[in-house]
Amino acid sequence: MNEHLESDMPSRLFDKRLLRRLIVYAYPYRGYMLLALVLTLPLTLLMNFLPLLIKRAIDDALVATGLDAATRIAELTSIAWIFLSIAGVVVFLRYAQGYVMSWIGQKILFDLRADIYAKIMRLPLRYFDRNPVGRLMTRVGSDVDAMQRLLTDGLVGLIVDVFTILGIIGYMIYLSPRLASILLVLLPLLFISLVYLNVKVRQAHREVRKRQSALNSYLQEMLTGMTTIQLFNREETTRRGFNGFNQRLRDANLYSVKWFSLSFPVTEIQNALTLSFILLVGGHALLTGEHGITIGVLIAYLAYLRDFFRPLEDLSEKSNVLQAAMASSERVFGLIDEPEFLHDPAAPAPLDRFKGKVEFDRVRFAYNHEHWVLNDVSFTIEPGQSIAIVGATGSGKSTIISLIARFYDVQQGSVRVDDRDVRDYRQSDLRRHIGIVLQDPFIFSGTLGENITLFNPAVTRERMVEAARYVNAHTFIENRPGGYDAPVLERGAGLSTGQKQLLALARAIAQDPDILLILDEATANVDTETELLIQDALHRILHERTSIIIAHRLSTIRDVDRILVLRHGELVEEGSHPQLLARGGYYRKLYDLLAHQPPPR
Amino acid sequence: MPPPAKPLKDYVAPYRTRATLGFLSVVGAIALGLIVPFILRNIIDGIESGEFTARKLHQLVAMFFAASAAAVFFSVLMRKILLGVAQHVEYDIRKDVFNALTRLDFAFFQRERTGDIMTKMSSDLGAIRELVGQGLLQGSRIALGFPFAFGIMFALNVKLALTIMLIIPVISIVFFFIIRVIRRRYDISQEQFSTISNFCQESFAGFRTIKGFGIEERMRGRFREQNEEYIRRNMSLTRAEEPVWPFMIFMFGMGTLLLLLVGGRLVIEGQMSLGEFVQFNQYLLYLQWPMLALGWTSNLIQRGLASWKRVQTILGAVPDIADGPHTRHDLTTIQGDIRFEDVSLTLGGTRLLHNINLVIPEGQTLAITGPTGGGKTLLVSLIQRLIDPTEGRITLGGIDLRHIPLKVLRASLGVAPQETFLFSDTLANNISLGLPAAETSPPASSSPHEEKVLWAACIAHLRDEVEGFPNQFQTMLGERGVTLSGGQRQRTAISRALALDPRILILDDVFSAVDTHTEARILEQLLPVLGPRTSILISHRVSTLRHADRILVLDEGAMIEEGSHEELVARGGYYADLDETQRLEARLEEGAS
Repeated sequence: MNEHLESDMPSRLFDKRLLRRLIVYAYPYRGYMLLALVLTLPLTLLMNFLPLLIKRAIDDALVATGLDAATRIAELTSIAWIFLSIAGVVVFLRYAQGYVMSWIGQKILFDLRADIYAKIMRLPLRYFDRNPVGRLMTRVGSDVDAMQRLLTDGLVGLIVDVFTILGIIGYMIYLSPRLASILLVLLPLLFISLVYLNVKVRQAHREVRKRQSALNSYLQEMLTGMTTIQLFNREETTRRGFNGFNQRLRDANLYSVKWFSLSFPVTEIQNALTLSFILLVGGHALLTGEHGITIGVLIAYLAYLRDFFRPLEDLSEKSNVLQAAMASSERVFGLIDEPEFLHDPAAPAPLDRFKGKVEFDRVRFAYNHEHWVLNDVSFTIEPGQSIAIVGATGSGKSTIISLIARFYDVQQGSVRVDDRDVRDYRQSDLRRHIGIVLQDPFIFSGTLGENITLFNPAVTRERMVEAARYVNAHTFIENRPGGYDAPVLERGAGLSTGQKQLLALARAIAQDPDILLILDEATANVDTETELLIQDALHRILHERTSIIIAHRLSTIRDVDRILVLRHGELVEEGSHPQLLARGGYYRKLYDLLAHQPPPR
Repeated sequence: MPPPAKPLKDYVAPYRTRATLGFLSVVGAIALGLIVPFILRNIIDGIESGEFTARKLHQLVAMFFAASAAAVFFSVLMRKILLGVAQHVEYDIRKDVFNALTRLDFAFFQRERTGDIMTKMSSDLGAIRELVGQGLLQGSRIALGFPFAFGIMFALNVKLALTIMLIIPVISIVFFFIIRVIRRRYDISQEQFSTISNFCQESFAGFRTIKGFGIEERMRGRFREQNEEYIRRNMSLTRAEEPVWPFMIFMFGMGTLLLLLVGGRLVIEGQMSLGEFVQFNQYLLYLQWPMLALGWTSNLIQRGLASWKRVQTILGAVPDIADGPHTRHDLTTIQGDIRFEDVSLTLGGTRLLHNINLVIPEGQTLAITGPTGGGKTLLVSLIQRLIDPTEGRITLGGIDLRHIPLKVLRASLGVAPQETFLFSDTLANNISLGLPAAETSPPASSSPHEEKVLWAACIAHLRDEVEGFPNQFQTMLGERGVTLSGGQRQRTAISRALALDPRILILDDVFSAVDTHTEARILEQLLPVLGPRTSILISHRVSTLRHADRILVLDEGAMIEEGSHEELVARGGYYADLDETQRLEARLEEGAS
């Protein structure tokens, strides 16, 4: 799946429940929100006062023919000064209001991102198997942006618009109730046409999005299968197929342009219509000298009408933004509501250090229902013992490691560390005392040193170097320009597989774990020299603490205290290497196979 | 033959009649928009002087409304026509881009990520559409509206026009200065955004390690820090960006102020009528919009041009593998004997195949094995002409592969690749993929190639299973259909290759997801069918390999062993080792069960 295919359509345009959850994010900043709104009040009042000043300038100065020119010019100048100072205050208020809103927006963005990130960090491993990284990136990226925009620009913008419109109506009524009534009478007409148009534009957009996503999924499929298409000479058919989607998209787009072209003009024509009536009625009033309407009032109305219609112009654009934000909120809250499966106990067992006893008691586990990966497995590992687990591919070896670290919970039975079920500990406590060496260790961008300390400030430089020395990683690190401070590229590019494995060992040792879990299945491409370094390091670390290794190296297998032999999720044999070899059972055959060193696949 | 990439204007050219109509509408809208203030002036002056009759007032207001309505009509028309042209242009470009994609070779798709191509085909095309549509629309509005509005203002009163124009240099200088600050701060903030993106990407991809070491808390802390830095930079951007709009509005307020002071005085002194004063103000308002939109429009144009450049990387890409001047178009079929003559392949400076010399006579079955990365798939890719060798040549029936029309070559090849690609279509259509296309295959009806499909599915041991499905071979696959298991997918791929009844059959590791029992049953039916064909089987399993006439072991791009099963086992090399290992593996299973 690709994020291009994600629907942009929320299940409902306006979901109160979603909005309520969204508003929770604005709640901590309610004081500032209030401030922004409080600023809006004088802002709209003052802004809309300017046309009134023009009216005064016209009536009291420009056409005040009863007065002498000097007085009129003095009056004009004083009005101009008021105009200037109000305009100055308006600029300031506008800026202050905009700044506060941006600040709130940024804060909300921050909180949303932090929440989503924290949530993702709590999700179980299996969630990551189903959801590609790209999709998660969209959640912290564009989805969060859309939600923030809705809260700041959308919600506050709406309130500002409403204030502006109400303010203008107020001024208009103040100037001339008669003329204002014309606007109010014509308003329903405008309202109906706007709503109708908005519905049409939205429908058209929805159709466009539907066809766009149909085109995208076809495109995505054909791009992925392009080699197959070419090998089977299907280019022409595919082109025809694509063209169908393309045509349908174009037609939907043309239809939406048709309605979109009307969305600005519909307010323009209303403006012209209202203005015509006002000129007519006002003109008559002026000609007969009735109703106290002056020429200044008429001119002020020109300005007021403009400002009145402006917020209504891009209504369909605004509802689009709302729709996109709703879709984003739905996806983000969907992620936040994702069940976590693994929960910390209400009263976690205190944990200082593990002595290192590990027990499996009749453990049954399945990734998918009923397909047992581990079937009734029991064993006990005493503190300080080193254990190797061997078995064919798919026998459940790595599952044992995952269960000790509680990446998954067992369906039946119990996994115990130091005589307590792993579910009794806080997950982070448990894992902090367990060191895991992964098959293909993930290398973070940063320095080599940071990849050993894992950004833990508590790991001193001495300890870091000591750990690296201990696992034979020191030499290769020192040989790189910059040593421990040498930057590592994304995903550890530039490091060999063997070097990455040495880093993984150093990383585990630097955390000073009480129990060490090592996944060490056969991998290709480790050069002989590094291979010897790894073997030497393994030999040393296995005897320091309780350690469990999934082993393929004969040297390691012979080295451990005890070997557990798994077959199809069941523990079939256990004992030391000589014991098991002497028994001549399954292990014996497995050993022969390992000793034969199969050609890497 | 790929057409050379056209310049963008050539995409607009077919719609020049429409575009001209659109321009005329713009001219109409602007002309009427500039005439309306004249009417308004007459109304104001008429009312103000008190010389108006009611009849005259009615006439003028009717004119006012008619002119306004006509302006609105033209503004609907210009949007509809010009934005419509942009939609057509987008359609045409998208069509060309897709056609170009179908001609591009394997190497291109290896190089480019699907996500990037998808972006080019959606948001980049969208930006180009905006460039064309809004570019034509706003560009012509600005280009025509500005000079005319100013022209009329000058014609009305030079002194007043000059005074009001004072605001323009102030706006331009401040704008020019602040835009640079904004751009710089924007870049700084984007930089931090990509840092955050990379950090998230890494956290999500390295999740296992993070959980394993229980360092979620620490990662959250680091994320917090980076996020805080991002917000800090964003706020610094806001401080530069936020004043722009209020400032512009303020400057237009200054325009009004100047009009009031200077124009007002002219009115008081009787040098100008109140109507003219109002008319002036209307033009000032008229100018406001394009001034404000200038930044937006130029941004849009820049983005569109950048997108056009990106899209051209597809439109202008030339595939290395295509029919050329040496192509022998007289060929309609090919012979099945394959010959590699000193073939080597170097990709990205690494030599992946070394001096391969190989003859596969028509009708022979060759098996290839060897460690992963040894070059097996590459070798057969050369026969399919997914890649061309960098040295040496490959011939089919004595003809250089590069001289055979691609269509003819591929029509004679049946390939089941390692990774089976299935289309979201019926199973039958997936199997009959390479057969001459039914022009429009109505869904749910039987495929025109039913017999071939059934025959192929039967040999691939797929038929029995499929006949257990409710819709049998009309079962839809993919997202909206069923998901096949790995083994079923592989057997569909085998059926697809067989349905072609090809002269040369290539099966690349197609039994890996099939258990040994099913493998044996497929082989039992497949081997007789191979008969007259030249066949190449890639496999890791001795149980498959042993049936071939000849076995080839490839390691690090070189042929290290070659011979029959017995010969190679006797020789005691890689193949013998493989045989022994698999024997031990088999024993592991049988002994304990």
